[in-house]
Amino acid sequence: MSAVSTTPASHDDAHAGGHEVPYSTQLRSNRLGLWLFMFSELFLFGALFTTRFVLWGNTRPNLSQELGLLATVILLISSFFMYRSETAIANGDQKTFLRSALVAATMGVIFFIMVVVMEWNIFGLSGSLFGIELFGHLKPSDGVYGGVFYAMTGMHALHVLSGVVFILIIWWNGRRGFFTPERHWGVEATAIYWHYVDVIWVFFYPALYLMGKAV
Amino acid sequence: MNDKKAAAYRLGLITLVILAVLTIVEFIIAVYMGALVLLFIIALLKAAVIIQNFMHIARLWQEESH
Repeated sequence: MSAVSTTPASHDDAHAGGHEVPYSTQLRSNRLGLWLFMFSELFLFGALFTTRFVLWGNTRPNLSQELGLLATVILLISSFFMYRSETAIANGDQKTFLRSALVAATMGVIFFIMVVVMEWNIFGLSGSLFGIELFGHLKPSDGVYGGVFYAMTGMHALHVLSGVVFILIIWWNGRRGFFTPERHWGVEATAIYWHYVDVIWVFFYPALYLMGKAV
Repeated sequence: MNDKKAAAYRLGLITLVILAVLTIVEFIIAVYMGALVLLFIIALLKAAVIIQNFMHIARLWQEESH
């Protein structure tokens, strides 16, 4: 969104120097657009969240509490590093910006692995550490529990994965000096999106792991 | 500028601590009480903290650039 086209000739004449929209206006529009996009996504996640209560009621599958808690902590710390990254570029601290973005992406990947490899257990592994069960046993075919669990975690994991891709893109562009303290919408948008993914998990985590009686 | 930068970093750290504490409280409530409404309220609190401090929702109606 770099320029606005207008038809009336008199209006064009009034702006002989071109019709570039001021950056602050672009920024406001970009922010509003991103928030509207996230609001639209809320319907998707809201539907999944509601489905959990309709189909599971006051019960839940018996999942590894430690694994869920650890995954949540990792995602929260990742969000903190993304915030740090955005703050750093806004203050011209290129080194911290790049380093924090990379840490955030790495933690996002760890979260993704924890969900897909450990909780979903796609490789059919088994094992424990200090009495903590490391791999899940719930399958998508396990009735409503499996179906809802995989739909919720799967949709969320997909967003985590896309968030990691966005972070790596801004990291790569940041290395080439693409962002400045004055202009870094890409970083801000990625950070907001990443925090949004975190907000979704803030609701999904208790809904999947904590609420209701384990069966 | 340095004060502003330090304050911003501090806000991030404070937010992380608040979220960590709320997560622990949430876990304890689930294990010992199982109060569904309380868990939902904590989730709302956590979301509000993230939206306010990390996502800067206030910027939506602020006249500012980077």
